[in-house]
Amino acid sequence: MLEVSGLSTGYDSHVVVLGVSVDVREGEAVAIIGSNGAGKTTFLRAICGLLPVSAGDVRYEGRSIANLAVHKVARAGISFVPAERHLFPEMSVAENLALGAFPNRPDPDQQSLVFDLFPRLAERRRQAAGTMSGGEQQMLAVGRALMSRPRLLILDEPTTGLAPRLASQAYESLAALRTLGMTILVAEQQVPLVLGLADRGYVLENGAIQLEGPSAELRDNPTVQRAYLGVV
Amino acid sequence: MTAVIFDGLVLGLQFGLLGVGLTVVYGMGGILNLAYGSIAVVAAVVMSVSMRAGLQAGPAVVLGILTAAGISLTLNSTVLKPVYRRRGEDRVLLSLLLTIGVAFIIDGLLVWRFPIEALGLNVGWEPVSIIGVRMRAGSLLASAITLLVGGSLIFFFRATTTGKAVRSVIQDEVGARLCGVNPAAVRTLIFALSGVLGGIFVATQAMTSPVPISAGFEFTITALLVTVVGGLGSIRGAFLAGLILGIVNAMSSFYIGSYITTIILLAAAALTIVLRPSGLFGERA
Repeated sequence: MLEVSGLSTGYDSHVVVLGVSVDVREGEAVAIIGSNGAGKTTFLRAICGLLPVSAGDVRYEGRSIANLAVHKVARAGISFVPAERHLFPEMSVAENLALGAFPNRPDPDQQSLVFDLFPRLAERRRQAAGTMSGGEQQMLAVGRALMSRPRLLILDEPTTGLAPRLASQAYESLAALRTLGMTILVAEQQVPLVLGLADRGYVLENGAIQLEGPSAELRDNPTVQRAYLGVV
Repeated sequence: MTAVIFDGLVLGLQFGLLGVGLTVVYGMGGILNLAYGSIAVVAAVVMSVSMRAGLQAGPAVVLGILTAAGISLTLNSTVLKPVYRRRGEDRVLLSLLLTIGVAFIIDGLLVWRFPIEALGLNVGWEPVSIIGVRMRAGSLLASAITLLVGGSLIFFFRATTTGKAVRSVIQDEVGARLCGVNPAAVRTLIFALSGVLGGIFVATQAMTSPVPISAGFEFTITALLVTVVGGLGSIRGAFLAGLILGIVNAMSSFYIGSYITTIILLAAAALTIVLRPSGLFGERA
Protein backbone atom coordinates (compact mmCIF):
# COMPACT_ATOMS: atom_id res chain seq x y z
CA MET A 1 0.00 0.00 0.00
CA LEU A 2 2.79 2.40 0.97
CA GLU A 3 6.30 1.93 -0.38
CA VAL A 4 8.99 4.34 0.70
CA SER A 5 12.27 3.73 -1.09
CA GLY A 6 15.60 5.41 -0.37
CA LEU A 7 13.95 8.51 1.08
CA SER A 8 16.16 11.42 2.11
CA THR A 9 14.83 14.56 3.73
CA GLY A 10 15.67 17.28 6.20
CA TYR A 11 15.42 20.94 7.02
CA ASP A 12 16.89 23.40 4.48
CA SER A 13 20.33 22.01 3.61
CA HIS A 14 20.56 19.90 6.75
CA VAL A 15 19.85 16.24 5.90
CA VAL A 16 18.23 14.39 8.80
CA VAL A 17 16.99 11.20 7.13
CA LEU A 18 19.18 9.48 4.55
CA GLY A 19 18.05 6.71 2.21
CA VAL A 20 15.30 5.15 4.32
CA SER A 21 13.10 2.40 2.83
CA VAL A 22 9.93 1.27 4.57
CA ASP A 23 6.89 -0.53 3.24
CA VAL A 24 3.44 -1.03 4.67
CA ARG A 25 1.01 -3.61 3.28
CA GLU A 26 -2.74 -3.31 3.44
CA GLY A 27 -4.20 -4.22 6.84
CA GLU A 28 -0.80 -4.18 8.57
CA ALA A 29 0.34 -2.22 11.60
CA VAL A 30 3.96 -1.15 11.24
CA ALA A 31 6.12 0.51 13.92
CA ILE A 32 9.04 2.87 13.51
CA ILE A 33 11.01 2.82 16.74
CA GLY A 34 14.00 4.88 17.71
CA SER A 35 15.24 7.32 20.31
CA ASN A 36 14.61 11.05 20.49
CA GLY A 37 16.18 12.81 17.51
CA ALA A 38 16.57 9.62 15.47
CA GLY A 39 14.60 11.16 12.59
CA LYS A 40 11.21 9.46 13.08
CA THR A 41 9.18 12.68 12.99
CA THR A 42 11.17 14.06 10.05
CA PHE A 43 10.61 10.82 8.14
CA LEU A 44 6.82 10.84 8.70
CA ARG A 45 6.55 14.55 7.89
CA ALA A 46 8.25 13.96 4.54
CA ILE A 47 5.76 11.19 3.65
CA CYS A 48 2.85 13.55 4.36
CA GLY A 49 4.29 16.41 2.34
CA LEU A 50 5.18 18.63 5.30
CA LEU A 51 8.87 18.37 4.39
CA PRO A 52 10.44 18.11 0.92
CA VAL A 53 11.68 14.72 -0.30
CA SER A 54 15.21 15.42 -1.60
CA ALA A 55 15.93 11.88 -2.85
CA GLY A 56 14.07 8.60 -3.19
CA ASP A 57 10.36 8.02 -3.71
CA VAL A 58 7.11 7.58 -1.79
CA ARG A 59 4.54 5.44 -3.59
CA TYR A 60 1.01 5.07 -2.29
CA GLU A 61 -1.32 2.60 -3.97
CA GLY A 62 0.97 2.49 -6.97
CA ARG A 63 1.45 6.21 -7.61
CA SER A 64 4.18 8.55 -6.43
CA ILE A 65 3.12 11.03 -3.74
CA ALA A 66 6.63 12.37 -3.10
CA ASN A 67 6.52 16.17 -2.75
CA LEU A 68 2.76 16.27 -3.22
CA ALA A 69 1.06 19.16 -1.35
CA VAL A 70 -0.05 18.22 2.18
CA HIS A 71 -3.76 18.66 1.45
CA LYS A 72 -3.52 16.43 -1.62
CA VAL A 73 -1.85 13.65 0.36
CA ALA A 74 -4.65 13.98 2.93
CA ARG A 75 -7.34 13.79 0.25
CA ALA A 76 -5.63 10.76 -1.32
CA GLY A 77 -6.60 8.78 1.80
CA ILE A 78 -3.65 9.18 4.18
CA SER A 79 -4.42 10.72 7.58
CA PHE A 80 -1.52 11.97 9.67
CA VAL A 81 -1.78 12.54 13.42
CA PRO A 82 1.22 14.68 14.42
CA ALA A 83 2.66 14.52 17.92
CA GLU A 84 1.67 18.18 18.47
CA ARG A 85 -1.93 17.26 17.45
CA HIS A 86 -2.52 20.56 15.58
CA LEU A 87 -6.16 20.75 16.65
CA PHE A 88 -8.27 23.88 16.14
CA PRO A 89 -8.21 25.18 19.74
CA GLU A 90 -11.20 27.56 19.59
CA MET A 91 -13.48 25.15 17.78
CA SER A 92 -15.67 22.57 19.46
CA VAL A 93 -15.03 18.85 19.35
CA ALA A 94 -17.85 18.51 16.80
CA GLU A 95 -16.36 21.23 14.57
CA ASN A 96 -12.89 19.68 14.74
CA LEU A 97 -14.38 16.35 13.70
CA ALA A 98 -16.38 17.99 10.90
CA LEU A 99 -13.20 19.52 9.48
CA GLY A 100 -11.62 16.09 9.49
CA ALA A 101 -14.13 15.17 6.79
CA PHE A 102 -13.27 18.25 4.64
CA PRO A 103 -14.15 18.90 1.81
CA ASN A 104 -17.13 16.63 2.42
CA ARG A 105 -19.84 17.05 5.03
CA PRO A 106 -19.17 14.82 8.06
CA ASP A 107 -20.55 11.32 7.59
CA PRO A 108 -22.81 10.37 10.54
CA ASP A 109 -21.75 6.70 10.39
CA GLN A 110 -18.08 7.61 10.60
CA GLN A 111 -18.84 10.02 13.43
CA SER A 112 -20.59 7.31 15.44
CA LEU A 113 -17.62 5.02 14.83
CA VAL A 114 -15.37 7.72 16.33
CA PHE A 115 -17.76 8.22 19.27
CA ASP A 116 -17.87 4.43 19.87
CA LEU A 117 -14.09 4.35 19.91
CA PHE A 118 -13.85 7.45 22.15
CA PRO A 119 -17.08 7.86 24.18
CA ARG A 120 -15.42 10.79 25.95
CA LEU A 121 -15.59 12.84 22.75
CA ALA A 122 -19.35 12.29 22.51
CA GLU A 123 -19.77 13.66 26.06
CA ARG A 124 -17.66 16.71 25.22
CA ARG A 125 -18.88 17.43 21.73
CA ARG A 126 -19.63 21.13 22.47
CA GLN A 127 -16.40 21.81 24.36
CA ALA A 128 -13.62 23.88 22.78
CA ALA A 129 -10.70 21.63 21.82
CA GLY A 130 -8.14 23.96 23.44
CA THR A 131 -9.71 23.53 26.89
CA MET A 132 -9.51 19.72 26.95
CA SER A 133 -6.95 17.55 28.74
CA GLY A 134 -3.98 16.02 26.93
CA GLY A 135 -5.59 12.60 26.78
CA GLU A 136 -8.82 14.00 25.36
CA GLN A 137 -6.92 16.06 22.81
CA GLN A 138 -5.09 12.93 21.69
CA MET A 139 -8.45 11.16 21.24
CA LEU A 140 -9.78 14.11 19.26
CA ALA A 141 -6.69 14.18 17.03
CA VAL A 142 -7.15 10.51 16.16
CA GLY A 143 -10.92 10.97 15.81
CA ARG A 144 -10.47 13.92 13.46
CA ALA A 145 -8.00 11.91 11.37
CA LEU A 146 -10.56 9.11 11.03
CA MET A 147 -13.39 11.35 9.80
CA SER A 148 -12.11 11.36 6.21
CA ARG A 149 -12.38 7.51 6.13
CA PRO A 150 -8.62 7.19 5.49
CA ARG A 151 -7.12 3.99 4.10
CA LEU A 152 -3.83 4.58 5.91
CA LEU A 153 -3.45 6.13 9.36
CA ILE A 154 -0.01 7.52 10.23
CA LEU A 155 0.68 8.54 13.82
CA ASP A 156 3.71 10.29 15.28
CA GLU A 157 4.32 9.51 18.97
CA PRO A 158 0.65 9.21 19.95
CA THR A 159 1.68 8.88 23.61
CA THR A 160 3.42 12.28 23.78
CA GLY A 161 2.57 13.98 27.06
CA LEU A 162 0.30 11.18 28.26
CA ALA A 163 0.46 9.48 31.65
CA PRO A 164 1.29 5.74 31.42
CA ARG A 165 -2.34 4.65 31.95
CA LEU A 166 -3.58 6.99 29.17
CA ALA A 167 -0.74 5.87 26.90
CA SER A 168 -1.88 2.24 27.18
CA GLN A 169 -5.47 3.36 26.57
CA ALA A 170 -4.35 5.13 23.40
CA TYR A 171 -2.81 1.88 22.18
CA GLU A 172 -5.95 -0.06 23.11
CA SER A 173 -7.93 2.25 20.81
CA LEU A 174 -5.42 1.71 18.03
CA ALA A 175 -5.72 -2.06 18.53
CA ALA A 176 -9.51 -1.70 18.23
CA LEU A 177 -9.01 0.20 14.97
CA ARG A 178 -6.79 -2.61 13.67
CA THR A 179 -9.55 -5.15 14.20
CA LEU A 180 -11.71 -2.91 11.98
CA GLY A 181 -9.12 -3.37 9.22
CA MET A 182 -7.28 -0.05 9.44
CA THR A 183 -3.71 0.05 8.09
CA ILE A 184 -1.45 1.83 10.58
CA LEU A 185 2.08 3.26 10.50
CA VAL A 186 3.22 4.57 13.87
CA ALA A 187 6.44 6.11 15.18
CA GLU A 188 6.99 5.55 18.88
CA GLN A 189 9.60 5.73 21.63
CA GLN A 190 7.59 3.59 24.01
CA VAL A 191 8.76 0.38 22.44
CA PRO A 192 6.91 -2.23 24.55
CA LEU A 193 3.57 -0.56 23.80
CA VAL A 194 4.08 -0.20 20.07
CA LEU A 195 5.49 -3.71 19.59
CA GLY A 196 2.32 -4.99 21.28
CA LEU A 197 0.32 -3.42 18.46
CA ALA A 198 2.51 -3.79 15.39
CA ASP A 199 3.07 -6.81 13.14
CA ARG A 200 6.48 -5.56 12.08
CA GLY A 201 8.85 -2.82 12.99
CA TYR A 202 11.83 -0.78 11.83
CA VAL A 203 14.52 0.60 14.10
CA LEU A 204 15.57 4.08 12.99
CA GLU A 205 18.76 5.60 14.43
CA ASN A 206 20.75 8.59 13.14
CA GLY A 207 18.42 8.91 10.18
CA ALA A 208 18.92 5.39 8.85
CA ILE A 209 17.26 1.98 9.34
CA GLN A 210 19.39 -0.16 11.68
CA LEU A 211 17.15 -3.19 12.00
CA GLU A 212 13.85 -4.48 10.73
CA GLY A 213 11.67 -7.51 11.30
CA PRO A 214 8.53 -8.95 12.87
CA SER A 215 7.67 -7.50 16.29
CA ALA A 216 8.42 -10.77 18.11
CA GLU A 217 11.90 -10.89 16.59
CA LEU A 218 12.62 -7.27 17.47
CA ARG A 219 11.45 -7.90 21.04
CA ASP A 220 13.96 -10.74 21.37
CA ASN A 221 16.78 -8.86 19.68
CA PRO A 222 19.57 -8.13 22.22
CA THR A 223 20.31 -4.66 20.74
CA VAL A 224 16.65 -3.64 20.95
CA GLN A 225 16.41 -5.05 24.48
CA ARG A 226 19.42 -3.08 25.61
CA ALA A 227 18.55 0.19 23.88
CA TYR A 228 14.76 0.38 24.24
CA LEU A 229 13.43 -2.25 26.58
CA GLY A 230 15.69 -1.55 29.54
CA VAL A 231 17.01 -5.14 29.64
CA VAL A 232 20.63 -5.28 30.81
CA MET B 1 -28.10 61.69 23.53
CA THR B 2 -30.14 58.83 22.04
CA ALA B 3 -29.65 60.31 18.59
CA VAL B 4 -25.88 60.46 19.10
CA ILE B 5 -25.77 56.84 20.23
CA PHE B 6 -27.86 55.84 17.21
CA ASP B 7 -25.41 57.64 14.93
CA GLY B 8 -22.59 55.84 16.69
CA LEU B 9 -24.25 52.47 16.19
CA VAL B 10 -24.79 53.13 12.47
CA LEU B 11 -21.16 54.14 12.10
CA GLY B 12 -19.96 51.33 14.37
CA LEU B 13 -21.60 48.61 12.32
CA GLN B 14 -19.86 49.97 9.25
CA PHE B 15 -16.52 50.15 11.09
CA GLY B 16 -17.04 46.53 12.12
CA LEU B 17 -17.56 45.45 8.51
CA LEU B 18 -14.49 47.42 7.43
CA GLY B 19 -12.46 45.81 10.22
CA VAL B 20 -13.53 42.26 9.31
CA GLY B 21 -12.11 42.75 5.82
CA LEU B 22 -8.69 43.52 7.30
CA THR B 23 -8.70 41.13 10.24
CA VAL B 24 -9.51 37.95 8.27
CA VAL B 25 -6.62 38.62 5.89
CA TYR B 26 -4.30 39.11 8.84
CA GLY B 27 -5.56 36.09 10.75
CA MET B 28 -5.17 33.84 7.77
CA GLY B 29 -1.82 34.77 6.37
CA GLY B 30 -0.13 37.16 8.78
CA ILE B 31 -0.57 39.89 6.16
CA LEU B 32 -1.49 43.42 7.25
CA ASN B 33 -2.87 44.94 4.07
CA LEU B 34 -2.25 48.69 4.33
CA ALA B 35 -3.63 49.22 0.81
CA TYR B 36 -7.04 48.08 2.05
CA GLY B 37 -8.59 51.56 2.44
CA SER B 38 -7.18 52.75 -0.88
CA ILE B 39 -8.67 49.72 -2.66
CA ALA B 40 -12.04 50.56 -1.08
CA VAL B 41 -11.72 54.12 -2.41
CA VAL B 42 -11.06 52.78 -5.93
CA ALA B 43 -14.42 50.99 -5.58
CA ALA B 44 -16.00 54.36 -4.68
CA VAL B 45 -14.43 56.02 -7.72
CA VAL B 46 -15.66 53.25 -10.03
CA MET B 47 -19.17 53.62 -8.59
CA SER B 48 -19.15 57.39 -8.97
CA VAL B 49 -17.68 57.48 -12.48
CA SER B 50 -19.97 54.75 -13.83
CA MET B 51 -23.02 56.46 -12.36
CA ARG B 52 -22.04 59.71 -14.08
CA ALA B 53 -21.63 57.71 -17.29
CA GLY B 54 -25.30 56.77 -16.98
CA LEU B 55 -25.28 53.50 -15.02
CA GLN B 56 -27.98 52.98 -12.37
CA ALA B 57 -26.85 53.12 -8.74
CA GLY B 58 -27.36 49.36 -8.16
CA PRO B 59 -25.22 48.07 -11.04
CA ALA B 60 -22.66 50.83 -10.41
CA VAL B 61 -22.22 49.71 -6.79
CA VAL B 62 -21.86 46.06 -7.87
CA LEU B 63 -19.28 47.07 -10.48
CA GLY B 64 -17.32 48.99 -7.83
CA ILE B 65 -17.42 46.06 -5.41
CA LEU B 66 -16.23 43.64 -8.09
CA THR B 67 -13.39 46.00 -9.01
CA ALA B 68 -12.22 46.10 -5.39
CA ALA B 69 -12.37 42.29 -5.21
CA GLY B 70 -10.35 42.09 -8.44
CA ILE B 71 -7.64 44.47 -7.19
CA SER B 72 -7.46 42.60 -3.91
CA LEU B 73 -7.03 39.26 -5.73
CA THR B 74 -4.37 40.73 -8.01
CA LEU B 75 -2.49 42.04 -4.98
CA ASN B 76 -2.58 38.54 -3.45
CA SER B 77 -1.32 36.80 -6.57
CA THR B 78 1.40 39.30 -7.59
CA VAL B 79 2.88 41.73 -5.06
CA LEU B 80 2.35 39.44 -2.08
CA LYS B 81 3.89 36.31 -3.68
CA PRO B 82 7.34 36.85 -2.10
CA VAL B 83 5.71 37.55 1.26
CA TYR B 84 4.29 34.01 1.54
CA ARG B 85 7.81 32.55 1.34
CA ARG B 86 8.61 34.19 4.68
CA ARG B 87 7.43 33.30 8.15
CA GLY B 88 6.54 35.09 11.36
CA GLU B 89 7.61 38.70 11.90
CA ASP B 90 9.43 38.83 8.56
CA ARG B 91 6.17 38.15 6.82
CA VAL B 92 4.20 40.83 8.70
CA LEU B 93 6.93 43.40 8.13
CA LEU B 94 7.37 42.71 4.42
CA SER B 95 3.59 42.78 3.92
CA LEU B 96 3.46 46.19 5.64
CA LEU B 97 6.16 47.63 3.40
CA LEU B 98 4.79 46.26 0.15
CA THR B 99 1.14 47.10 0.78
CA ILE B 100 1.93 50.64 1.95
CA GLY B 101 3.79 51.03 -1.36
CA VAL B 102 0.70 49.83 -3.22
CA ALA B 103 -1.41 52.29 -1.20
CA PHE B 104 0.85 55.20 -2.26
CA ILE B 105 0.62 54.15 -5.91
CA ILE B 106 -3.18 53.85 -5.83
CA ASP B 107 -3.60 57.16 -3.96
CA GLY B 108 -1.21 58.88 -6.40
CA LEU B 109 -3.07 57.55 -9.44
CA LEU B 110 -6.39 58.67 -7.96
CA VAL B 111 -5.16 62.20 -7.23
CA TRP B 112 -3.72 62.38 -10.75
CA ARG B 113 -6.70 61.00 -12.72
CA PHE B 114 -9.70 61.79 -10.48
CA PRO B 115 -8.70 64.78 -8.32
CA ILE B 116 -12.22 65.99 -7.51
CA GLU B 117 -14.15 62.72 -7.60
CA ALA B 118 -16.32 61.92 -4.58
CA LEU B 119 -18.96 59.25 -4.18
CA GLY B 120 -22.35 60.27 -2.85
CA LEU B 121 -25.26 57.87 -2.90
CA ASN B 122 -28.45 59.80 -2.36
CA VAL B 123 -31.18 57.71 -0.76
CA GLY B 124 -34.14 59.93 -1.62
CA TRP B 125 -36.61 58.65 0.94
CA GLU B 126 -38.15 60.64 3.79
CA PRO B 127 -36.55 60.47 7.25
CA VAL B 128 -38.08 57.87 9.57
CA SER B 129 -38.80 58.19 13.28
CA ILE B 130 -37.53 55.43 15.59
CA ILE B 131 -38.34 55.69 19.33
CA GLY B 132 -38.60 59.45 18.92
CA VAL B 133 -35.34 59.87 17.00
CA ARG B 134 -35.52 61.07 13.41
CA MET B 135 -33.20 58.90 11.33
CA ARG B 136 -32.16 59.74 7.80
CA ALA B 137 -33.21 57.08 5.32
CA GLY B 138 -29.59 56.79 4.15
CA SER B 139 -28.44 55.86 7.68
CA LEU B 140 -31.16 53.26 8.01
CA LEU B 141 -30.47 51.67 4.63
CA ALA B 142 -26.73 51.65 5.37
CA SER B 143 -27.39 49.95 8.73
CA ALA B 144 -29.76 47.43 7.21
CA ILE B 145 -27.22 46.49 4.53
CA THR B 146 -24.41 46.27 7.09
CA LEU B 147 -26.47 44.09 9.43
CA LEU B 148 -27.46 41.81 6.58
CA VAL B 149 -23.87 41.45 5.37
CA GLY B 150 -22.61 41.01 8.95
CA GLY B 151 -25.23 38.33 9.62
CA SER B 152 -24.35 36.52 6.40
CA LEU B 153 -20.66 36.64 7.36
CA ILE B 154 -21.35 35.13 10.77
CA PHE B 155 -23.48 32.42 9.15
CA PHE B 156 -20.77 31.78 6.56
CA PHE B 157 -17.98 31.42 9.14
CA ARG B 158 -20.00 29.39 11.69
CA ALA B 159 -22.23 27.16 9.63
CA THR B 160 -20.73 26.45 6.21
CA THR B 161 -17.99 23.93 5.44
CA THR B 162 -16.00 26.57 3.53
CA GLY B 163 -16.36 29.06 6.38
CA LYS B 164 -15.09 26.49 8.87
CA ALA B 165 -12.16 25.77 6.55
CA VAL B 166 -11.25 29.49 6.65
CA ARG B 167 -11.34 29.48 10.46
CA SER B 168 -9.29 26.29 10.56
CA VAL B 169 -6.50 27.99 8.57
CA ILE B 170 -6.63 30.97 10.98
CA GLN B 171 -6.40 28.72 14.05
CA ASP B 172 -3.85 26.13 12.90
CA GLU B 173 -2.59 26.15 9.33
CA VAL B 174 -0.74 22.81 9.59
CA GLY B 175 -3.81 21.16 11.11
CA ALA B 176 -5.95 22.59 8.31
CA ARG B 177 -3.63 21.23 5.61
CA LEU B 178 -3.64 17.80 7.27
CA CYS B 179 -7.44 17.88 7.06
CA GLY B 180 -7.24 18.44 3.30
CA VAL B 181 -7.72 22.23 3.27
CA ASN B 182 -5.70 24.05 0.62
CA PRO B 183 -4.51 27.28 2.29
CA ALA B 184 -3.78 28.99 -1.05
CA ALA B 185 -7.40 28.52 -2.15
CA VAL B 186 -8.66 29.84 1.18
CA ARG B 187 -6.37 32.84 0.80
CA THR B 188 -7.76 33.61 -2.65
CA LEU B 189 -11.29 33.46 -1.28
CA ILE B 190 -10.45 35.71 1.66
CA PHE B 191 -8.73 38.37 -0.45
CA ALA B 192 -11.78 38.49 -2.71
CA LEU B 193 -14.04 38.73 0.35
CA SER B 194 -11.86 41.49 1.79
CA GLY B 195 -12.23 43.55 -1.42
CA VAL B 196 -15.98 42.97 -1.43
CA LEU B 197 -16.28 44.17 2.19
CA GLY B 198 -14.23 47.30 1.42
CA GLY B 199 -16.54 47.99 -1.53
CA ILE B 200 -19.71 47.51 0.53
CA PHE B 201 -18.25 49.76 3.24
CA VAL B 202 -17.69 52.73 0.90
CA ALA B 203 -21.16 52.29 -0.58
CA THR B 204 -22.79 52.42 2.87
CA GLN B 205 -20.58 55.36 3.89
CA ALA B 206 -21.64 57.25 0.77
CA MET B 207 -25.29 56.89 1.81
CA THR B 208 -24.70 59.23 4.76
CA SER B 209 -21.86 61.49 3.59
CA PRO B 210 -19.74 61.76 0.43
CA VAL B 211 -16.58 59.64 0.20
CA PRO B 212 -13.68 61.71 -1.23
CA ILE B 213 -10.69 60.11 -2.98
CA SER B 214 -8.45 61.15 -0.10
CA ALA B 215 -10.25 58.88 2.37
CA GLY B 216 -8.19 55.73 1.72
CA PHE B 217 -5.59 56.27 4.42
CA GLU B 218 -8.21 57.14 7.02
CA PHE B 219 -10.18 53.98 6.17
CA THR B 220 -7.05 51.86 6.56
CA ILE B 221 -6.28 53.42 9.95
CA THR B 222 -9.86 52.91 11.12
CA ALA B 223 -9.78 49.27 9.99
CA LEU B 224 -6.45 48.81 11.75
CA LEU B 225 -7.84 50.29 15.00
CA VAL B 226 -10.90 48.03 14.82
CA THR B 227 -8.70 45.01 14.12
CA VAL B 228 -6.27 45.72 16.94
CA VAL B 229 -8.96 46.50 19.50
CA GLY B 230 -11.04 43.49 18.48
CA GLY B 231 -8.09 41.13 18.48
CA LEU B 232 -6.09 40.26 15.36
CA GLY B 233 -7.87 37.60 13.38
CA SER B 234 -11.11 37.72 15.38
CA ILE B 235 -14.33 38.28 13.45
CA ARG B 236 -16.70 38.81 16.38
CA GLY B 237 -14.01 40.99 17.99
CA ALA B 238 -14.00 43.24 14.91
CA PHE B 239 -17.77 43.78 15.11
CA LEU B 240 -17.71 44.54 18.83
CA ALA B 241 -14.70 46.86 18.45
CA GLY B 242 -16.40 48.56 15.49
CA LEU B 243 -19.48 49.30 17.60
CA ILE B 244 -17.43 50.62 20.52
CA LEU B 245 -15.28 52.85 18.31
CA GLY B 246 -18.35 54.01 16.36
CA ILE B 247 -20.06 55.17 19.53
CA VAL B 248 -16.87 56.78 20.88
CA ASN B 249 -16.51 58.53 17.53
CA ALA B 250 -20.09 59.86 17.49
CA MET B 251 -19.98 60.98 21.13
CA SER B 252 -16.68 62.81 20.85
CA SER B 253 -17.65 64.46 17.55
CA PHE B 254 -20.88 65.70 19.12
CA TYR B 255 -19.71 66.73 22.60
CA ILE B 256 -16.09 67.70 22.03
CA GLY B 257 -15.53 68.42 18.38
CA SER B 258 -14.62 66.43 15.33
CA TYR B 259 -11.06 67.81 15.16
CA ILE B 260 -10.11 65.88 18.29
CA THR B 261 -12.07 62.71 17.51
CA THR B 262 -9.16 60.89 15.93
CA ILE B 263 -7.04 61.49 19.02
CA ILE B 264 -9.80 60.16 21.26
CA LEU B 265 -10.23 57.10 19.02
CA LEU B 266 -6.52 56.37 19.19
CA ALA B 267 -6.58 56.87 22.97
CA ALA B 268 -9.50 54.43 23.29
CA ALA B 269 -7.59 51.90 21.17
CA ALA B 270 -4.41 52.42 23.22
CA LEU B 271 -6.34 51.93 26.45
CA THR B 272 -7.80 48.63 25.20
CA ILE B 273 -4.37 47.40 24.23
CA VAL B 274 -2.96 48.29 27.66
CA LEU B 275 -5.80 46.46 29.42
CA ARG B 276 -5.98 43.49 27.03
CA PRO B 277 -2.82 43.17 24.90
CA SER B 278 -4.32 40.60 22.54
CA GLY B 279 -7.50 42.63 21.98
CA LEU B 280 -11.05 41.87 23.05
CA PHE B 281 -11.09 38.47 21.34
CA GLY B 282 -7.49 37.72 20.38
CA GLU B 283 -7.52 34.34 18.63
CA ARG B 284 -3.86 34.05 19.52
CA ALA B 285 -2.46 35.63 22.64
